[in-house]
Amino acid sequence: MGVNLSDIVPVQTMELEDLSGQRLAIDAYNAIYQFLSIIRGPDGTPLKDSRGRVTSHLAGLLYRNINLLEAGVRPAYVFDGHPHVMKTQTLVERSERRSKAHEEWREAITEGDMERARSKATQSSRINNEIVESSRILLTYLGIPVIQAPEEGEAQAAYMAIKGDVWAASSQDYDSLLFGAPRLVRNLNITGRRKMPGGREYRDVHIEVVELAKVLEVNGLESRDQLIDMCIMIGTDFNPGIRGIGPKKGLKLIKENGTLERALQAAGQSIPDSDVIREIFLHGERLDDYSLDWKDPQRDKVVSFMCDEHGFSEQRINSALDRLERKRPAKKAESMPASQSSLDRWGS
Amino acid sequence: MFHAKIKSETLKGVVDVVSTLVDEAKFNIFSDGIELKAVDPAHVAMVDMKVEKSAFEEFSADETELGIDLDKIKEVLRLSRAGDIIEMEQDEAKNRLVLHVGNITRRMNLVDTAGMSDPKVPNLSLPAKLSVTSDELQKGIRAAESVSDHIALNATPDGFEMYSEGDTDSVSLKLPKDLLISLEVTEKVKSLFPLDYFSNMVRSIPAGSVVTINLGSDFPVKLEFEIADKRGNVNYLLAPRIESD
Repeated sequence: MGVNLSDIVPVQTMELEDLSGQRLAIDAYNAIYQFLSIIRGPDGTPLKDSRGRVTSHLAGLLYRNINLLEAGVRPAYVFDGHPHVMKTQTLVERSERRSKAHEEWREAITEGDMERARSKATQSSRINNEIVESSRILLTYLGIPVIQAPEEGEAQAAYMAIKGDVWAASSQDYDSLLFGAPRLVRNLNITGRRKMPGGREYRDVHIEVVELAKVLEVNGLESRDQLIDMCIMIGTDFNPGIRGIGPKKGLKLIKENGTLERALQAAGQSIPDSDVIREIFLHGERLDDYSLDWKDPQRDKVVSFMCDEHGFSEQRINSALDRLERKRPAKKAESMPASQSSLDRWGS
Repeated sequence: MFHAKIKSETLKGVVDVVSTLVDEAKFNIFSDGIELKAVDPAHVAMVDMKVEKSAFEEFSADETELGIDLDKIKEVLRLSRAGDIIEMEQDEAKNRLVLHVGNITRRMNLVDTAGMSDPKVPNLSLPAKLSVTSDELQKGIRAAESVSDHIALNATPDGFEMYSEGDTDSVSLKLPKDLLISLEVTEKVKSLFPLDYFSNMVRSIPAGSVVTINLGSDFPVKLEFEIADKRGNVNYLLAPRIESD
């Protein structure tokens, strides 16, 4: 999902500990999808409680956030608001893809092809209201800020990074860069050993940090506007793009012609509503009135929500929460709740 | 073009100072020496280093850039002993750096420097300035490590203090004026720093060095010291932890 820029984006790999003391605005839907895709049984069935409600995302959110908090990271989750009308086509296609994957999963199950079943199940993950609501509840009990974006979660997360309220936006999608995030953190939720899609191979996944300024510099682009123009040509969540133009060709066309309009003219192509799409990235609806207030986890509530309500093992949830308790004394001890500043603040 | 010979321990000192903050770095080579500016991935700390030509046993170079994976240099250093001479040579045709130590030859690919722009050194006016031995700093850090994960640096017209406060305990190392090498402070200043960074940075300062500390209140700290037998100098900057508003 989102525009794929992996070929032209310089990344810096980091360990979780390197992010200690930093605030991150996380694209909540993006994170939840990852947990729903990854946390599944061998045949692809997601975790469920006794009432049949999916709980894969709860397991992911709980354990991952405990790891983040334990490492000293301060996560805030930004949820999508209403989708932009230009995204309708993408959403319809995604939905169809997921339905198809779901059908194929059932086929594979009947045929007893577990490998295929798991792969198809991964592609069929859907987020419904119940999943969103339970995620919000768990995060709130964990003392983690939850922010409701007016439109795209990524756009709001990027805006918070632009304002300097958080150190970086976190998402798997590179769109955060188009929305202006000076820094994008990828793979936050999937670090460690991961099975590669389809194959049996394992690979170590590291946290990747992408800096917008470097992306522009390395590719010889003059501004974020040019990056946006290039991506509109290759296709975004808001338009299909032009067949046959990928990142490399798109980059060349924009560099040679300066703007989308001139590049399209040169290529003898046109994109309807390109100015509307550009506006979404540059000036979409953003919220200024949000609060970033990290509180201590409400242990009793987390345990009762995870265990009584959703059937997780009390022992495992408690031992995970113990890790935070052990971490906290040192933090509490700060007579002042100081957070790490960046040299950027002094014009570095 | 770059071709130089350097003592193993001198090269180790240079690499240690940089590898504390980054894994890969761009060395700017000039005819009269080398320079490097780098900032750690989290933009919390910066190193600004100059090493003169005279720090090397032999040195000939035209202006160029070398992107170096510091772990690879460390691997070569581990094969050498103090007093060994390490010869370094740029292979421009293959974009490699060739290192010789004794009968060992190590060829390493250079790192692409395209994305490695020099960070801008912030222009800070820091009101307090004092000099202290690196050994005293080490002692203060050791004391702090058992108590907290950060450390406050306080300077007054009377002296310098490293102070850490934990949940139940606190620890302070006080150095009155007469135990300092110099002290120019007109009013009290205080900033708080992440101990892990501060500790790693101080650890890379050669033992027995004099460190000049420039300090403000809720401002980055600047540590100045010499390396390579006074033929090189380093400025470290470290961003403070600041009370959230």
